[in-house]
Amino acid sequence: MMQEQTIATEVLIIGGGVTGAGVMRDLSLRGLHTLLVDKRDLCAGASGGNHGLLHSGARYVSNDPHSAGECRQENELLKKLAPQCVEQTGGLFVAVEGDDPGFAEYFPHLCRQVAISCEEIAISEAKRLEPHLSDRIFKVYRVADATIDPFRLALENVAHASAASGSRYLPHTEILGFEIADGEIRAALCRDTRTNSLLRVVAKQYVNAGGAWAMDISRLAGCTDVNLLYSKGTLLVSHDRMTRHVINRLRLPGDGDILVPGGTVSVLGTTSVRTMNLENIRPTVAEIDLNVKEGAAMIPALATARYIRAFSRVRPLLQCNLGDDDREAKRGFALLDHTSQGLANFCTITGGKLTTFRLMAEKTADLVAARLGNNEPCTTTSVPLPDGEACRWTEPGASPKYWYHANNADDMILCECEMVPQSAIDEIVKGAPGAEKEMTLEAIALRSRAGKGPCQGSFCGIRICSYLYDRGYYRDASGLRHMRDFFNERFKGQKTVIWGQQAAQMELAEALHCGLLGLDTLEEE
Amino acid sequence: MKEEVRNLTTQLAVIGSGIAGFAASIFAVRRNIAVAQIGNTGAVAYTTGYLDLLGKEDGSPAAVIDPWQALDTLAATQPDHPLAKIPAADIRRSFTEFTAFLGECGIAYGKPQDHNVTALTPAGTLKQTLCVPATMAAGPRAYAEKMPCVIIDFNGLKGFSGRQVAANLQDRWPGLTTERIGFPDMSHGEIYPEVMARALEVPATREKLADLLKKAAGEAQVIGLPAVLGMHRPDHVKAELERLTGLTIFEIPTMPPSVPGIRLREMFEQVLPEKGVTLIPQQKVTALSFDSGAATLCLCDSFGPIRLRAETVILATGRFLSGGLEAGLTGIREPLLDLPVTQPESRAHWYCDRYTDSRGHAIHRAGIEIDSSFRPLMTGGRPYSERLFAAGVILAHQDWIRGRSGAGIAIATAYKAVEAAERFLSSSSSS
Amino acid sequence: MADSTIPTINFKEKAMELLPEGASFEACLTCGLCSSGCPASGIENMDPRKFIRMAMLGMDAELSQTPWVWCCTQCKRCQHVCPMNIDISQLVFLARGNWPQDKKPSGIVRSCQMIRSTDSTSAMGLPPADFVFVVEDVLQEVRETQPAFRHLQAPMDKTGAFFFVNQNSREPMSEPDEMVPLWKIFDLVGADWTYSSKGWAAENFCMFSGDEEAWYEVIRKRVDAVSELGCKVWLNTECGHSYYTMWHGLKRFGLAADFALESLITYYARWIREGKLPVNSRWNTRKIKFTVQDPCMIVRKAYGESIALDMRFVVKSLVGEENFIDMQPNRSANYCCGGGGGFLQAGMTDHRRTYGKRKFDQIAATGAAYVLTPCHNCHSQMEDIGHFYGGSYGVVHFWTLICLSLGILGENERTYLGPDLLALID
Repeated sequence: MMQEQTIATEVLIIGGGVTGAGVMRDLSLRGLHTLLVDKRDLCAGASGGNHGLLHSGARYVSNDPHSAGECRQENELLKKLAPQCVEQTGGLFVAVEGDDPGFAEYFPHLCRQVAISCEEIAISEAKRLEPHLSDRIFKVYRVADATIDPFRLALENVAHASAASGSRYLPHTEILGFEIADGEIRAALCRDTRTNSLLRVVAKQYVNAGGAWAMDISRLAGCTDVNLLYSKGTLLVSHDRMTRHVINRLRLPGDGDILVPGGTVSVLGTTSVRTMNLENIRPTVAEIDLNVKEGAAMIPALATARYIRAFSRVRPLLQCNLGDDDREAKRGFALLDHTSQGLANFCTITGGKLTTFRLMAEKTADLVAARLGNNEPCTTTSVPLPDGEACRWTEPGASPKYWYHANNADDMILCECEMVPQSAIDEIVKGAPGAEKEMTLEAIALRSRAGKGPCQGSFCGIRICSYLYDRGYYRDASGLRHMRDFFNERFKGQKTVIWGQQAAQMELAEALHCGLLGLDTLEEE
Repeated sequence: MKEEVRNLTTQLAVIGSGIAGFAASIFAVRRNIAVAQIGNTGAVAYTTGYLDLLGKEDGSPAAVIDPWQALDTLAATQPDHPLAKIPAADIRRSFTEFTAFLGECGIAYGKPQDHNVTALTPAGTLKQTLCVPATMAAGPRAYAEKMPCVIIDFNGLKGFSGRQVAANLQDRWPGLTTERIGFPDMSHGEIYPEVMARALEVPATREKLADLLKKAAGEAQVIGLPAVLGMHRPDHVKAELERLTGLTIFEIPTMPPSVPGIRLREMFEQVLPEKGVTLIPQQKVTALSFDSGAATLCLCDSFGPIRLRAETVILATGRFLSGGLEAGLTGIREPLLDLPVTQPESRAHWYCDRYTDSRGHAIHRAGIEIDSSFRPLMTGGRPYSERLFAAGVILAHQDWIRGRSGAGIAIATAYKAVEAAERFLSSSSSS
Repeated sequence: MADSTIPTINFKEKAMELLPEGASFEACLTCGLCSSGCPASGIENMDPRKFIRMAMLGMDAELSQTPWVWCCTQCKRCQHVCPMNIDISQLVFLARGNWPQDKKPSGIVRSCQMIRSTDSTSAMGLPPADFVFVVEDVLQEVRETQPAFRHLQAPMDKTGAFFFVNQNSREPMSEPDEMVPLWKIFDLVGADWTYSSKGWAAENFCMFSGDEEAWYEVIRKRVDAVSELGCKVWLNTECGHSYYTMWHGLKRFGLAADFALESLITYYARWIREGKLPVNSRWNTRKIKFTVQDPCMIVRKAYGESIALDMRFVVKSLVGEENFIDMQPNRSANYCCGGGGGFLQAGMTDHRRTYGKRKFDQIAATGAAYVLTPCHNCHSQMEDIGHFYGGSYGVVHFWTLICLSLGILGENERTYLGPDLLALID
């Protein structure tokens, strides 16, 4: 017997990526009550599977100058307004022997045309700044790239929205369909994917920020004007941080072009392969090898580095934007108001990129607010993003510093690789966005750095699980299943980068998880 | 200061310091074979104390209750599996001899029986194993009889939760409860099982702990602890605590860094030299070559180079964790001799998509091929050398992790490898 | 104790530079065997695993400033238990040297300054002339008061002697009679030995202070002193780090030495085997129990198993095999007692005693009445923690027990014997 619950809100936002979270915040700051849902958790799509690059815009000057300009503006805004999510690393564009020298010469001109700062620096200076750069580089420009933590960004946006207007975020809540009457959506029917219970959301406005899933969601509402193609991108994470700056390949966009520092690691990518699938997206060995090969042209040490994880996500590409090569697709975004589809209170925001999320959210919120007769202006260009409760733990290097300076021997470290203490776990399960009565280990890990180090959770998963049993948070065999699911989830990222030292790490992990603990033979519920 | 090469000779050189390597040395010593053992020790410290023979069959999630019957099935369904090449009687003998030796050295074990023991894990799951240390034995017994029992855990000990054990066994073991106490003189911060175990070698610490245990036990007659019952004399420590408390006590292995593995390592490194094994721990063999007369192993210690001439060699270098096999971008190799490694066709086939896939991962079945005399084979099927043998989980066609057969493979193949080496030694000395 | 005047080292980079490939910080499995097996774990809320992770996480300021580097004695037990053989102590040494001189524990710095202040290389600043005087003075007294030793020698600056014997400053400065047992041993075995007025001292706090230059200077002086006298063997007294700083120093600084480095222990064992030192255990009628302390500096960090075996041979010969109880763990797996690394001079008494608890437990578990050790720092530390934790054991040097066994231990040479041992002498 499935119980059904009804929630009322002013705006239902579907999709917990940074865009959805951004819309949630923008509307909440205008005084509106919103409900954000995601069928998995925050940043489960492209928002959680990218370089974490806050573009200067230079990457797009050759094929999409409009997007390049947007990036430049948003880059400056986010540095100012969300500094806790940003590391101002700076960026370099480097051309390697064999790359087109003409392109390299023309590059600063293209940047100037969209007012993007681009400064040539001497090879010797570049090598001094970044000793890992190849000896075969012949041109280097410096740009205002930075890095941004999309997880923290999403968490902070959601936290601020909750604080501003009591808005809520529900994870593992999937849209099943819509009740439509008289040219309006009356309610959205949702399902809790963990308990199978049904939820009916009655809202005045409905926003589809479903990222790669936006087409599927819009079709549930009977709309056929969202046409997406899917491009799969694969990236990999190195064991430790290899460069200070973002390093871009100075050529037309291709595979393995960018090496981005991610706090304490580096992220290398990306590949681009057309796909029909949205689910079960996994890196392949071929994609990994390609990234390593291409990346090694800029940074030879990438060929022998220890990698701890790889991940793949799907980018949605607007069909109207496509050229011959998916990479040439304009990375602009599209906001569809669906009036041509006979719906007055539904819109879809799609395309775009992480760097321009705030702008995408602004445009969406403008439309939604207008439809609601709300005249409050957008304030996200001036109101800083505050530090939300329990949102700080995703920042690389933050919990070690916190723990070290707090100097409390009784606050024991549970994730030794990233030095995440018990108190962080406590804070997360108590009050992080999306916290609930029984969070999975994966949900906790998402809100911290637990499991992101060399052991990829193989030790800390056990420690955190035990700790949660100690706290009475886990009370039965479901805790073991959470642990097993956590390791399975982590493994998706590890599979293709298991060689060298990682093979040793995995052998020990599997001996522990399966050989001793028997997590491979757990009884199902 | 001059560094002279030290020249040593021996009859058998064992390369590797895991269970297989140590088992080989033990078997050799008991057969009066002069043996030198070399290897970078460390991974044996991760072992749990349980000696698994065969705990799970391929393709079936069910626990193996009778490993001997499962071995029969194995012989029919996986004739290339190392255990399939060894008569059950030999496997039994190898376990009996190995555990007897451990017992002589102060770590008593239950004898191998006709069936597995259902043993406890720190997660509150159950595990099938063949031989259980005496310090752990009361746990399976208490579980089997569903006796009222208290799992004790300690403030500051990470990764071991009495509540977790109780929560997951409660359905099957209603009399299981848990209490948390502080370990004597370790009231602040985190504590390690190793430190607790060593502290329990001191009588005064035992007395203090005994008082706490008695209070925590309440009405129960049996208590379970994480594995901290001493390091050097675990049986003595357990007996003393039982005497002081009047309770039956057992321990449960913990996640690394765990005590039972450290116990074994320290014991082996102490006892084997006393029994005449030339043990060169902490060093890796850097070069190994064979001529018509003997094998030559090159290595170094802090004094300088060592050149060891051995009539026979057993390669028991393990897998990726211990460096016996190396997984590179383009394939798996055996680094010491570049022996051919049977392996999946490419890296893309090493792992299933799902970590806990019941089939296990093909990478674990990679390894070196051997003949019926446990000699590694070249491509083409001929032995690399008549005086080279191999043992342990470096061998192909087995998944020791999923099969719960690590100790079984290590001990039984070491037994056969030593047997084969002995045959070679006696035939070459008589010719 | 955050201090911004201490410069920041890039530990990750340095680890890659200093440690061999495959055994550097990126090989770490974070298994925790190092932390579990380290007596400094928990002090200043640090441990070896955290050290590695903090380096990889870029917490260079914190690592550069943590006082923990003065609590890690660089005993290398972490490397010993690590399946990847990662030697964290090298980075600790680097961190020590990086502290400005005025921030380092003053006791260690002063001792290094004293060492450099005279040709003696003595941490107590005993100049050559004073050393010569003390030796002569004590020798004179022995000759006068102990008839059996009226011809006893204590050669000084004897060119061409076979053994160049060093001397820990503690004896000539505060307990000069403790030098005598060794003279008697040399006399008995007919050893051709000498002290040197230059470079005679054993201790080397310059290594402890992380000062490579100073360490080199001290070793250089000592090597020159040996070469000057043309001795064949530099024979290390019962002092742990003096052996290590010389042995490792020669390699590290690429110094050529045409003499061998040997430990007294090796020779005790040899002389006993050759019958030159006719010790036996018959004196131990009360079956007093002894254990032995393997100094990290001589066993794990240098000689390894062979010296540990020699040491046990000597002990068993002296006290009787059945009266020897080994500590657990032992030999290369032994725990550092906490006396080394300058800990005794660092002024961090609470930390030092916390560190020493494991050693106390080890000794207590043996139930032995005495610990024998060929190391001054071990000697002092084990005495101190014994008092602090309420133990009832004594600590003695080998030379004391050798002479006791031979019945030649003078009245003033019995300072470290408890009433039980004293009762067994005449």
